[in-house]
Amino acid sequence: MCPTIAAPNAGSAVPAPPAAYRRAGAALGAEWIKLRSLRSMLLTPLLGAVASIGLTAAAVKNNAAQWAHLDAVQRARFDPLALNFNFEVIGVLLFGVLGALVATNEYRSGLIRMTLAATPQRGLVLAAKAVLVGLVSFALAAVIVFTAFFTGQGILSGHHAPHVSLGDHNMLAHLMGTVCYLTAAGLIGLFTGVLVRGAAAAVTCVFGFLLVLPLLADDITPDAVTRHTVPYLPANLGVRMLQPYQGLRPGAAVAGLAAWVLVLAAAAAFSLRGRDA
Amino acid sequence: MSARAGTASRPVIGLDLRLRATAGSEWIKFRSVRSGPFALSATALTVVVGAWLLGDANRGSYLAASPVGRAAFDPVFTVFQGIELAQLFVGALGVITVTGEYASGLIRGTFVATPQRAQVLAMKALVFAVVVWACCTAMSFAAFFLGQSALSPAKHAGIGDPGVLAAVFGAGLYLTLVGLLGLFIGVLVRRTPAALAVLFGLLAVLPIVFAQIPGTITKNLGEYTPDAGEQAYHLLPDGAYTLGPWAGLGVEAAYVVVAALVAFALILRRDA
Repeated sequence: MCPTIAAPNAGSAVPAPPAAYRRAGAALGAEWIKLRSLRSMLLTPLLGAVASIGLTAAAVKNNAAQWAHLDAVQRARFDPLALNFNFEVIGVLLFGVLGALVATNEYRSGLIRMTLAATPQRGLVLAAKAVLVGLVSFALAAVIVFTAFFTGQGILSGHHAPHVSLGDHNMLAHLMGTVCYLTAAGLIGLFTGVLVRGAAAAVTCVFGFLLVLPLLADDITPDAVTRHTVPYLPANLGVRMLQPYQGLRPGAAVAGLAAWVLVLAAAAAFSLRGRDA
Repeated sequence: MSARAGTASRPVIGLDLRLRATAGSEWIKFRSVRSGPFALSATALTVVVGAWLLGDANRGSYLAASPVGRAAFDPVFTVFQGIELAQLFVGALGVITVTGEYASGLIRGTFVATPQRAQVLAMKALVFAVVVWACCTAMSFAAFFLGQSALSPAKHAGIGDPGVLAAVFGAGLYLTLVGLLGLFIGVLVRRTPAALAVLFGLLAVLPIVFAQIPGTITKNLGEYTPDAGEQAYHLLPDGAYTLGPWAGLGVEAAYVVVAALVAFALILRRDA
């Protein structure tokens, strides 16, 4: 007979709650299984890579071939780094959609109720999701951005057009800033998904917020209000990673994006804790 | 006698009655889904309030502009720019009208009740088109009057000016076609996120892709994206497109027709 079972007070003893780090580890493990088994997890980054690397290579090649025929004004406007990331927006949208689907698929299948029953600490669930989406987005974005960069600049140098290299002043900051932008897009998508729960609403929000709203806002002639708001839209902060403008350098733009992510995270946490699943 | 009664065929229901019954059930499904009023309200907010904001924001910049800038200023398109955002809401509504039915499994009940699947899709598209066209046309009239009153005393247009009435109707037609494109893409793809990604990719991303790659091939291809329909609510020619308002709408309508043909072919062949 096992003494621990025979102990007279064993029946009434409340098992000690698991240590916080073990709870966090278990939540991360559970979220990781759900994340890696998401069907879009394969297709979405693949499309992002095709768009960012393939389309960019085609566009850069086209531009590089024309370099010899450009006049002085066009040559002065030729920006090898910006040219390399013309299709960044497609990657941004796909990362945003991927983040949104991580949340909305769970609501759609009803799995969220099981998740919250298993881990009633809802803040912990959200934190675990955010950590994993952030890390996976960062890793995928780093691969995509640096591959696109080396492909694009390699094509430019092959055509004897102006090009930049990784060792140039601030170049690593520009590229890491772009990786951060894509990561932020994934997190913005995730928190939007937690807030609105439906796939249709979340995907529409991602496209509206990250693509169309900045296009519209940029069209408005700057006045007192828009001059101090439009540059701080996430998409405009993301562009600042590559083209500094009005004193907004990559560092400040990363801080601005982090502020967006934190505000949305707080809203998502508040909504997840306060609402019925 | 009883044996003959058992084999007697049911009374033949006329086609008009069947179509009316299908349209009735499609209307119930359309109006009882929460996303309908929600998406249309978001559209109204973006188009109408957006027109007022855009008119207000552009009044000052017009008065400060150079004569060249003033000549290129398009008072109709300026106040209708909110449509670029609103098309996402209308398009999403078209998509979920179909994918929502697949997601809930209701589509199987629909096809059991009406095995004439082409008829179901036709009535679904018809009900959707009529409701969305009526709402969007009303919105574009409201947006026009509100936007023009916010623009004055800068250059503004009256409803009787040449081309203006067509542009205001064109805005409503553009949005309706976007919604129909979403609806048929929903039939093709059946899953909400994928259908939305395809639709938004065609509408918003494809023009950017063509614009970013220099060359005459991409420039010509760029003329024939569904976005070309936006020329319908331009009063002055836009830099990016040269086809003209009706040809532009025709290009957009061609996308809808192609998507519709494939959707009708697939809905008859596929398991629900």
